[in-house]
This record gives sequence, C-alpha cells and structure tokens, in this order.
Amino acid sequence: MNALEIRNLTKSFGSFKLDDIELILPSGCIMGLIGENGAGKSTTMKLILGMLHRDAGTVRILGRDNSEDIRLIKEDVGVVMDEVGIPECLNAKQVAGIMRRTFCRWSDKEYDRLIDKFEIPKGKPFKDYSRGMKMKLGIAVAMSHGSKLILLDEATSALDPVARDEVVEMLIDFTRDEEHSVLISSHIVSDLEKLCDYVAFLHKGKLLLCEEKDALLSEYGIIRCNAGQLKELDPAAILHKKESPYGAEAIVRRDRIPSGFQIGPVNIEELFVFMVKESWEVK
Amino acid sequence: MRGLLLKDFYMVWKYCKIYLIVVLVFIAVFIVGDNSLYFVFYPCLLAGMIPITLIAYDERSGWESYCKGLPYTGVQIVSAKYIVGLCCQALTLLLTGIAFAARMIYAEKFDIGEFLYFLILVQVISCAASASVLPFLYRFGVEKGRIAYYVMVGLIVAGAFICMNLNQKDVSGGAALTWIPWAVCATGIAVYALSWRLSVVFYRKREG
Repeated sequence: MNALEIRNLTKSFGSFKLDDIELILPSGCIMGLIGENGAGKSTTMKLILGMLHRDAGTVRILGRDNSEDIRLIKEDVGVVMDEVGIPECLNAKQVAGIMRRTFCRWSDKEYDRLIDKFEIPKGKPFKDYSRGMKMKLGIAVAMSHGSKLILLDEATSALDPVARDEVVEMLIDFTRDEEHSVLISSHIVSDLEKLCDYVAFLHKGKLLLCEEKDALLSEYGIIRCNAGQLKELDPAAILHKKESPYGAEAIVRRDRIPSGFQIGPVNIEELFVFMVKESWEVK
Repeated sequence: MRGLLLKDFYMVWKYCKIYLIVVLVFIAVFIVGDNSLYFVFYPCLLAGMIPITLIAYDERSGWESYCKGLPYTGVQIVSAKYIVGLCCQALTLLLTGIAFAARMIYAEKFDIGEFLYFLILVQVISCAASASVLPFLYRFGVEKGRIAYYVMVGLIVAGAFICMNLNQKDVSGGAALTWIPWAVCATGIAVYALSWRLSVVFYRKREG
C-alpha cells in the first residue's frame, strides 16, 4: 500500500498556483520534498492535511481519501511543523496530558521512552528548550500516537548540524517498520540526500520530478566540457545545460552519452539547482 | 476536544492568573467602596477578553497552525475558545454575584429583583465582550480583531451604564422582574450562539 498518493493536485491563491502535482510515497519509505522558499512545499503539506481546500485532484493517505474523514486519518499521521507549535508555557508532561486526550492511540510508554532517549526535561517549559530540543519534542509527539505517516514541514531547517543528524537518525529508525513512512520538506537539500529514498523537486508550484533517489543518482551525471563538445552530444541526453565563456556544464542521462566522455557523479543539490535555475536553458 | 480544553486551561492558569487578581481587587473595592458599578463591570469585560488573549497566544506560538494537523475539526477548535470563555464568565458571574449580594446584605437592602437584574447584566456584558470580538478575530486575525475589541468595550460600558440607570429610575424592587431583563438575557445568549456559529464559518473561510 502507498502511504501517500497525490494525483493532479491543484490549488491557486493570488498569483501562486500549485499545479497538477503527482506524488506517490510507498509505505516504509522516506520522501524528500525539495523546493526553494515559496515553491509550494508548505501548501502541499497543508493540502495533504486538509488544512486548505484543493481546487482539483485527489489526496489519498494510507489508502483513504483525505476528503472522507480527515479526523480519523489524522490519527495515523504525525505532523511536525517548522515552529513545532507547542505553546511556550507548557512542559513535556502537560503536552502528554493534552495529547492523551487528543489521540485515541496515544502511548504514554512510547512518549516517555522517546523523551528519555532525547533527554528532554519533563518539567521545563517549552520556551526554555533549545531549538533542537523543541523539534525533538515535536517528533516525540508525532511518533507516540501510533502514526504510520509523519509529515515534517521544514522541520530541520533551523537546526544545528548535530541536532539535524539526531533528527535524521530518529526518522531512519522510525521507517525501519515497513508500515511507517515519512514525507519531509526542506530547502536544505543535504539533509534530505542522507535520509530519503525518494525525492521530489518542486519549483514555483510545479513538480519538476519525483523519483527514487538512487535511480536518479545512477541515471544522471555531470559532464564538464567545452561548448563544441557539448554540441556533439545527443540533445535528448541533456537534461539541463549551462554555458559560459569558460566552458559548459550539463546534466546528462548516463546511458545516452558515448564512451570517452568523463561523466561525474551528480548530487541531489546539483540536480535541483540545475533544474530550477531559470537562466539555464531547459531542454 | 478535551485536549484542546485542557491546553486552554493550562494557558489560562499560566497567563490569566493576573485577571483573577484584578477581579478580586475590583470586587473588594466594590464591596467597601462607593457603590460604583465600574468595579464589577470591568472584571466582566476582562473575563470576556480571556478567549481573545488565548487566540493571540495560539497565533504567536504557532499552535493555531499545529492544531489543524491534529485530529480536531474546525468546529471543535473554535468551540473550545467559546467554552473556555463561558467557564471564565461563569466564575466572574459567581464572584461578582457574591460581591453584589454581600454589598446589599451589608447595607440591609437586599432586593432579589435588583440582584437578578444585576446578574443578568453581568452575564450579558461578559457574553457580549467575547461574542462581539471573536468573529472578527477569526475573520481578520488577532491584530485587526483588536480594533473590534476597543470599539466593543466602549459600546458595552456605555450600554451597561444606560441599563443600570434605567433600572434605577424606572424599575424598583420586584418590578425589575419584568420581561425586559429576561429579554436582555435571552438576547445575550442568542448573540453568543450566533457569534459562535459565525466564528466557525469565518474560521473555515480562513482555512482557504
């Protein structure tokens, strides 16, 4: 079963349009939704959670359409927002009290285990937590009510590298269960590269690609050459190219490049930047 | 919705304790002072303001967005604020009622008609304070909603004093138990219910 299936999802407000988004996240996998600020990542998250009304398309979460009974669906979905959203005066113990009365399958045992594991002080008010600790509390809540899908919206963006690494480990741990999946949005591509099985690029409300990360990395490479050499290549092999007086760079499909060309590995960040930079010619 | 209510009660306890102190001080002043009704009406306005304060804190902490990801409906999210508001109003009604009765007993002028009229007025003021502002808050957000609050305070204070003066001039003793106070009471409840409904509609509209 797919944890998340988004088809033809469209939403407009003002001059912004989230246009015809198609995403499929299989159960047991982590998908990174990558996009610059304003690309539509948060809008996509809100549409998944039914926080916004879509103009068109369908969203199925764990096999159920999110327009059916979003309350029931949310029992299975953990949400971690950029600002976490827990009121500043509350401590971890009080948060447990609130969530126990919010989720049918809330587990104090699991929450306590995670709180102890992350060394979150139970009696300290939320406002006195470090940024990393706040995020870990948000993740502990998201993981303590039997959720099968966790949505993280820019949750790692303002963390220091150590805290980010801990969060990444927590999420990898979570998806060891084949029923558990994660959709994480960020504009910090390096985080997602470590973590994700699938990546989706979002740019100005359009989905540029959604593919398995390893397939993507083995399928594409970078060629650095001069303009003349670039012209010799099969145009269908070139995904994007950039030419300057000093030479040319192109992201290419490895299987369509004749032998003799040196193809370097491409990382997700390079691929993303290549694909979104408007000044670069799009093939 | 129990989780939402518990969260709001934690927040009321943390941020609104000062209101309780102000209410007690005002009531004490009313009991020993010169019978100025300002000292009982002001706590009612404060009680009506508590849900507004909670919404402002929710917006600041990001809870407003976060709770939309929790298994709650828009109706529940809005209703929690109205229910917490009612609880705060009930507490204020109880405290001011005791104070008013104590004052009348102390002056050996206890009049059940006047006492009930007073309770109704207090209840209507508390309800009106929340009811008139909350829909604006859900429609326009906390910042713009504050303007509605200031307008409402002015109108309610003026209205309350007109009502009390009318009572003193035209109605005395048991005569206060005419249909007018009950009509005012019913109107107050109807306005609160209408406001509740409107807030739900505005909340859903703001969801986009």
